[in-house]
Amino acid sequence: MPGSERYTKYEKARIIGARALQIAAGAPVLIKTDKIDPIDIAIEEFEKGVIPITVKREK
Amino acid sequence: MYIKIRAVDVVRVPPERLGEDLVNTVKELLKDKLEGRVDKRIGMFVAVLDVVEMKEGRIMIGDGGVYYETIFDALVFRPMMQEIVEGEIVEIVNFGAFVEIGPLDGLLHISQITDEFISYDEKGAKLITRESNRTLGEKDRVRARIVAISLNERDPGDSKIGLTMRQPGLGKIEWIEEERKKESESEV
Repeated sequence: MPGSERYTKYEKARIIGARALQIAAGAPVLIKTDKIDPIDIAIEEFEKGVIPITVKREK
Repeated sequence: MYIKIRAVDVVRVPPERLGEDLVNTVKELLKDKLEGRVDKRIGMFVAVLDVVEMKEGRIMIGDGGVYYETIFDALVFRPMMQEIVEGEIVEIVNFGAFVEIGPLDGLLHISQITDEFISYDEKGAKLITRESNRTLGEKDRVRARIVAISLNERDPGDSKIGLTMRQPGLGKIEWIEEERKKESESEV
């Protein structure tokens, strides 16, 4: 998985937001963590590059 | 008649099911969504057979679900005008008989059973022709032609299919055989 610098801050917010919503709604967490807040979990997943979400950009 | 079709639909996979095997989950969700549903152009969905292809998922703003555009094969029941169908009579009422011709029942109105006058025997739940004294009751097998189709998309059970048997070669299976015998005897 490529590093997180690939995304703009807006894309980062969108990805973490969407992922946090999924985790909050019961989606399986992809990392081992002690965190409880879905947003924190999503941020950690994002930093580790394990979130299976990509951005489709307009050309 | 029953037709196998290839169709495209978008399925929402809810977040709590994202950990499961995706193709199976999508197939299950498609079944829940479509089976038993009626569409005027397509007919009635009987079964979702196979998921053929799945596009990349899409995530909408404000929804944690993932939307997958899916190509799949499905078995549909599509009644067609002038189609010849065979079925069993499931109910006799004073205005005719209901014939099971698949997932939906067709109505055979008393005026469309034979050229003769028909009376209704309420006790025996039978329809009786006046001149030749033939009877039509539940569990009899008949061959009929579809002459009216009115599918209700909102309430599939309310869909109506009209049938007729007033034509040579149509009727209760036994009557057709009798007619055929008579014909071959008269030829000799």
